[in-house]
Amino acid sequence: MSSKEDILARIRQNTRTRYEMPDLKLDAITYEDKIHTFIEQLKAGGGEAHLLQPGEKVDEVIRSYYPDAKRIASNLPEIGCATFNPDELSDPRELDGTDLAIVKGSFGVAENAAVWLPKQTRHKAVFFISNALVILLDKEEIVHNMNEAYRRLADADYDYGVFMSGPSKTADIEQALVFGAHGPIRVTVVLV
Amino acid sequence: MTTKHAIAGTRFIANETQEKWHDETLWMVRAKRDKQSRSLPEWERLRDLASAIKMYSNSHLDTLLEEFERNAVANGAIVHWAKDAEEHNRIVYDILKQHGAKNLIKSKSMLTEECEMSPYLFSKGIDVVESDLGERILQLMKLKPSHIVLPAIHVKRQAIGQMMEEKLGTEPGNYDPTYLTHAMRRHLRDKFLHADVAMTGANFAVASTGEIVVCTNEGNADMGTSFPKVHIATFGMEKIVPNREALGVFTRLLARSGTGQPVTSYTSHYRRPPEGGEFHIIIVDNGRSDILADADHVKTLNCIRCGECMNTCPVYRRTGGYSYTYFIPGPIGINLGMLRNPKQFADNVSACSLCLSCSNVCPAKVDLGEQIYKWRQKLDRIGRANPEKKLMSAGMKFLMERPALFNTALKFAPVVNHLPRFMVYNAANAWGKGRELPAFAKESFNDLWKKNKVK
Repeated sequence: MSSKEDILARIRQNTRTRYEMPDLKLDAITYEDKIHTFIEQLKAGGGEAHLLQPGEKVDEVIRSYYPDAKRIASNLPEIGCATFNPDELSDPRELDGTDLAIVKGSFGVAENAAVWLPKQTRHKAVFFISNALVILLDKEEIVHNMNEAYRRLADADYDYGVFMSGPSKTADIEQALVFGAHGPIRVTVVLV
Repeated sequence: MTTKHAIAGTRFIANETQEKWHDETLWMVRAKRDKQSRSLPEWERLRDLASAIKMYSNSHLDTLLEEFERNAVANGAIVHWAKDAEEHNRIVYDILKQHGAKNLIKSKSMLTEECEMSPYLFSKGIDVVESDLGERILQLMKLKPSHIVLPAIHVKRQAIGQMMEEKLGTEPGNYDPTYLTHAMRRHLRDKFLHADVAMTGANFAVASTGEIVVCTNEGNADMGTSFPKVHIATFGMEKIVPNREALGVFTRLLARSGTGQPVTSYTSHYRRPPEGGEFHIIIVDNGRSDILADADHVKTLNCIRCGECMNTCPVYRRTGGYSYTYFIPGPIGINLGMLRNPKQFADNVSACSLCLSCSNVCPAKVDLGEQIYKWRQKLDRIGRANPEKKLMSAGMKFLMERPALFNTALKFAPVVNHLPRFMVYNAANAWGKGRELPAFAKESFNDLWKKNKVK
């Protein structure tokens, strides 16, 4: 008998009461001002938010946050301040040393400031390897909570996707919070 | 007879400053959890749902695991099944061998600890590199984790700094956490870029989509899987959730419970192999299917490994993770150890005050404290009952069943108040260790009642 058959046979033999799947209906929290809650939550998690004002240009806003960035990766056609297109690199290792990457979020979640980022570049390393990350997010695309978020993803197709909430962080040394454990040290969400 | 937990706990307590810090720091994490849970009016409903979903999924593992496999294979993954730790480790090694891999970068996984995978792979000449910052620190210090979510909670910054001076050449005397973390970032960046194969555990495996979900704050699982052509993900079979909607319930509970954050920085969904590479998924039993038949303890399979039962446990906080003899400490570790090998791990069953704080905060409603109580009832059967307490209990039973004798004994009880200490606090009185007996009253309640002195 293969291990698979063996394991399944043991499961069938040992399973006692078979419980029903519960109804997942839930009165989950909603917020009066989702954009405001999203921004507050993002700040609490160590991220920054910029609500684009009328007349402001995305490129200029990004530049104002990261005036010293030299190597800037983005495959977004609307981004003019990128210095290279990461999709043109065949080896993701070549991305090491990137100062800033600019990507697009599908939607955000107010309760925890997570942004859904499906893989959108040739290498998913783009999300993690640069010192800073700018996420462009349509401010109308913010849901209240994670239950809503996963309902929205119920049939979504992707190779890889991540809910990202703020910068990479750790408190493994004496519970002292430090940003930039491995991934971006700074994350800025530009709400457009 | 003192348990191994009590002996090791006494050592931990000896360093009062460290014990106080450990206790207060973990309580602070627990307080952060309370703040998070109170921010959601639906918190208790979420716990109920999480528990009900787990009761469903753990009683339908046969169908859900097959559904998972079908979908994972359709996504292009290669699925393996491992009956036990040995088979699990062999599968991992075979994949590494096939690819001529010399090193493996891995994110934190309690399952690989359970399987003792790293020592096995080291013995085969594979360099296993832990990528979680705390785990890497411990690996370089040749220490074991003392908490499942905060692995290095017992180590002080000076010790970490001194190790890093020696092994990574950091500035002597610089123990600043930010400095040390960023030095570790550079050290591990190099490891990420030169890894042959990446390995992760899984917080959840979604049956309806065949994807696995890994939650980290550091992004180490994502960095690790971004460069090698091969990703191996391994999970214990109770990690299965039926679909993404159910997953939504757990992602709202996990970090809030474990570390008091609304969510981890990264909740990563791995569905298809990396470009031109392979995605291996190992489904592991290793004793889990036996637990299904154990009505008293089947709920341990609800556990989502958030670590909260450790943070809230007064015994864990004051005695530290190393006081337990099973590799997972705290309330959940006591129970999992007993399910692994009751004779070997019975020492941990005493590490509980039955306050039930763990049961009250567990996001998946595992009845942790109640189960520990049940194990205590079984200690005698497995030959691990404390002989002094057993003798004392037998004496008490004899007395309780004979009212006349009991009343006489009671009349003479105040004599104990005046006995020299060595006669009361000695090896025969297991309850006298670390405790002061209350003074016996001059008159018993019975006598007071009869003399109408009870108002």
